[in-house]
Amino acid sequence: MVELVFIVPLVAGALAFFMLGRSGRPLLVLTGAVHLALSVYLWVKRPEALFPDYFGVTPEGLLSLIVISLLFFLISIYTQTYLARSAIQSENIFTGSMLLFLSTMTMVTLSDHIMVMWIAIEATTLASAPLIYTHRSAASLEATWKYVLICSVGIALALLGSVLITVAMDVGGVESALSFSSLTEKARGLDPTWLKVGFVFILVGYGTKMGLAPMHTWLPDAHSEAPSPASALLSGVLLNCAYLGIFKTHKIMVAAGLGGFSGMILIVFGLLSILAAATFILRQTEYKRLLAYSSIENMGIIAFGTGVGGLGAYGAILCLIHHSLIKSSLFLTSGNLLLGFGGRLISDTGNLIKEMPRTFVAFFAGFAGISGIPPFGIFIGELFIILGAFRAGHYVAVGLFLLSLCVIFGGFAHHAMRISFEESPKTVEMKESITLVWPQYGLLLTSLILCFWIPDTLYQTIIQAVTIIGGGF
Amino acid sequence: MIKPILFWLLAMLTAPFFSAVILKVKAFFGGKKGPPILINYYTLFKLFQKGSVYSHSTTFIFKMGPMISLGAAVTALLFLPIAGQPPMFSWHGDVILVLYLLGLGRFFTIAAAMDTASPFEGMGAAREAYFPIICEATLFLTLILFFMLSGELRLSAYFFGNEPLQLWRAAGAPLLFVVIALFIVLLTENTRVPVDDPATHLELTMIHEVMVLDHSGPDLGMIELGSYLKLFFYSTIVARLIWPYDMGNAFVDGALFAVAMLAVYGVVGVTESVMARYRMDKVPKFVLTSFALVFFATIITLEFMK
Amino acid sequence: MNQPADAILSLVLLSILFSFGSSRLPSLIKAVAFQGIVVSLVPLFVGHELTAGGVIFTQVTLLIRGILIPLCIYMAIKKVRIRREVEPIVGYHASMLAGLALIVAAIAFSRKFDLPGIGQYALLLPTAIALLVAGMFLLMARRNAIAMVLGYITMENGIYLVGATFSVRAQHIVEFGILLDVLAGVMIMAVILQNIKQTLDDVDTALLRTLKE
Repeated sequence: MVELVFIVPLVAGALAFFMLGRSGRPLLVLTGAVHLALSVYLWVKRPEALFPDYFGVTPEGLLSLIVISLLFFLISIYTQTYLARSAIQSENIFTGSMLLFLSTMTMVTLSDHIMVMWIAIEATTLASAPLIYTHRSAASLEATWKYVLICSVGIALALLGSVLITVAMDVGGVESALSFSSLTEKARGLDPTWLKVGFVFILVGYGTKMGLAPMHTWLPDAHSEAPSPASALLSGVLLNCAYLGIFKTHKIMVAAGLGGFSGMILIVFGLLSILAAATFILRQTEYKRLLAYSSIENMGIIAFGTGVGGLGAYGAILCLIHHSLIKSSLFLTSGNLLLGFGGRLISDTGNLIKEMPRTFVAFFAGFAGISGIPPFGIFIGELFIILGAFRAGHYVAVGLFLLSLCVIFGGFAHHAMRISFEESPKTVEMKESITLVWPQYGLLLTSLILCFWIPDTLYQTIIQAVTIIGGGF
Repeated sequence: MIKPILFWLLAMLTAPFFSAVILKVKAFFGGKKGPPILINYYTLFKLFQKGSVYSHSTTFIFKMGPMISLGAAVTALLFLPIAGQPPMFSWHGDVILVLYLLGLGRFFTIAAAMDTASPFEGMGAAREAYFPIICEATLFLTLILFFMLSGELRLSAYFFGNEPLQLWRAAGAPLLFVVIALFIVLLTENTRVPVDDPATHLELTMIHEVMVLDHSGPDLGMIELGSYLKLFFYSTIVARLIWPYDMGNAFVDGALFAVAMLAVYGVVGVTESVMARYRMDKVPKFVLTSFALVFFATIITLEFMK
Repeated sequence: MNQPADAILSLVLLSILFSFGSSRLPSLIKAVAFQGIVVSLVPLFVGHELTAGGVIFTQVTLLIRGILIPLCIYMAIKKVRIRREVEPIVGYHASMLAGLALIVAAIAFSRKFDLPGIGQYALLLPTAIALLVAGMFLLMARRNAIAMVLGYITMENGIYLVGATFSVRAQHIVEFGILLDVLAGVMIMAVILQNIKQTLDDVDTALLRTLKE
């Protein structure tokens, strides 16, 4: 039953490759709807997997799954109009890859076996590579090449890390299934040296995919070259999937009593990413790259929060959910900008409030949300992370953290004001149809609602996910 | 004492014959009849009957070159256990003496070439000095390996009687790499294809041949004989490694050794027939390969000896 | 050198040296293909007793690692018809010496570790480390995109060596999945290579410099 959630889009994706012309578009929405229904079912029932050795329903997996599902459904609606408005060659490859991408990401959230997790994450790279190359230009080719090569090498290191964890089992004499859940239970027996080495490799490996600095170099290229719906998926969900791998390994580390070691590394990588993003956001000239660097920043924040633990871990999960919702809405909005203004540079745009009023609402609300302005969830998440870091006594780290956030806010605000209010080089003659803005509104509204009212089942799931790493209040 | 002298004399007598085997093999591959098998003897006779011509600009160094290079090769053979028989001289550290004797011969060939003040010969001399430097690194590394395997620093400790077999037992498969490396050294030191083409007619592409352009008559004969002996020297080493057994009877051993030598010379001939000469800038990589192989064999062997 | 496994492993090390020294792509591909074949033979000789499934799995690995993947790359270079050699960032002589230094370092480094069960295979850990580092070296020291893919494959070979011999935990079905992932990755890379050639007329990655801050 559990496996059905990724088998459905897999089959649909395979089918979509053979559907010529526009016939694949309804399939995208249909699969999105079925997937959402199945995910909600999983959330409510939490059934056992058919192959419990390999797959399982875990709280952190469910959180990611429900976000993926919701996002994909809304993005698929947006994609209908986007595809109609933009010229994309061989649409069947695009829709097929989108569905396969969904399938592999779902597999990541549901996998419990260390190696199956690796297979799934590597598969997400392969499924998403054609998406980045959709525009068939030299620049998109370069972005795809970088993406595939850097991520494959990174993930190869994660494979090595996974293998080293099995070595830690051998050396420590632990008899257990090679799944995250059972390893977390028996973590005390694992050999600490090999476990540490394994964690470092896994962090570097999956960290590459998650966009942690200094392994982030592929991310801005890939996000800016992919068509907007694909960028929204890449940024909103793919990064979460990679994070899931790190999070689960971190759980093993904490259970083995090595939480201090892994937490410290996470904090360092998190801060590095935030600092890197702060440096690059200031002098950014393309709006999609701007958003990509903002993703790097948020991944840094999430890694930082996870490393801090306690209240910070709870905040990190909040950030994770809200970042997915808000950032994917922003990437969809950037698709509108591209359709309207016809250029990727910030200087190509301007006076959004007059030219495209509906898009402006989505853009500005998204900007406010991602920058951590109060009514949106990222504010609360960051607040928890800072509180948690203070409680844990990381004063210097918090100082750096706050400083970078201020710089990023300043840089982002500067660019956002430029896009929204300054003179536009040309007038936009694009009709803002409902499907081009309402998916964003839906995502932002979800984030807004979750900020004021968290359903008890969601709250319980988050707490279940973070208790092992000492999260919660 | 008589047996070593006998084998030493035999070596000097047969060296030109073995060299002609290469020519025969090449002729076979070229679909030609080729020169008679005793061609090298005829050439030597012819050259020694002639008189020498010396340029006005040359000095006594020019005349010394051929004598010293021949003398060095002859002396080096004195220390070599030919066909697994005891050599005439053998003492601790003689390997280093032998290596430097060969180096001395090369030095005087180069000096004689420089003495002619011909730009072509200077060019050849530069190449002759460059490539064997890498060979020397290979040879000394081989020496280190052999020293670690046998604990001795004598040629006779490596190639006398059953000693090569002991080397194989101690090192195993990595010694195969050493054999390949030594074969590359053989090709380089004796300026064979693919490092240099002894039959070339264009001075620009020559290495060794260009250096002896000005020598004539008996001088040229001495140089030729010296090069046969040098080839014989290196071939003996390779042949002893590929046929490491000792039958206990000098005649049987000598015959088997001759077969092994024919095999080595044959392989040289085959190499020359199937390969083209490398471009000059590719040669160092080829020679460096021999160094890499021996180095690799040494590391591996060390790892297993610990 | 009494173990057949060690003889095979020294061949793997030798293939690293050859891949570092080969300036022409076909010979580099041959070196990596040879490496793939030899690496997939190692589990037959090391450690744990083999089941029938294990033997079949080894054969499939050999087929994919040693033949299918190199063939895929070979087809790619046949199609793109690379004429000139691209000067590497680190030259071939220097690479070869670096390879020797790498092997020495790997052996010295591996003395620090003591693994249960495979202690008698003196070369196993050094070979694995050397393969990993060699792969990264090729990725960094070559400008040619195909050489970079081959570096990635070398790295994967190293990880396979670690995975297949250090531990018996991963079931064959999972290993098979990993193998398929790698195969698909290489195929996608080959397709991208062909597109790079069509778009930019060369596979020199120095041409891929338009996207940067």
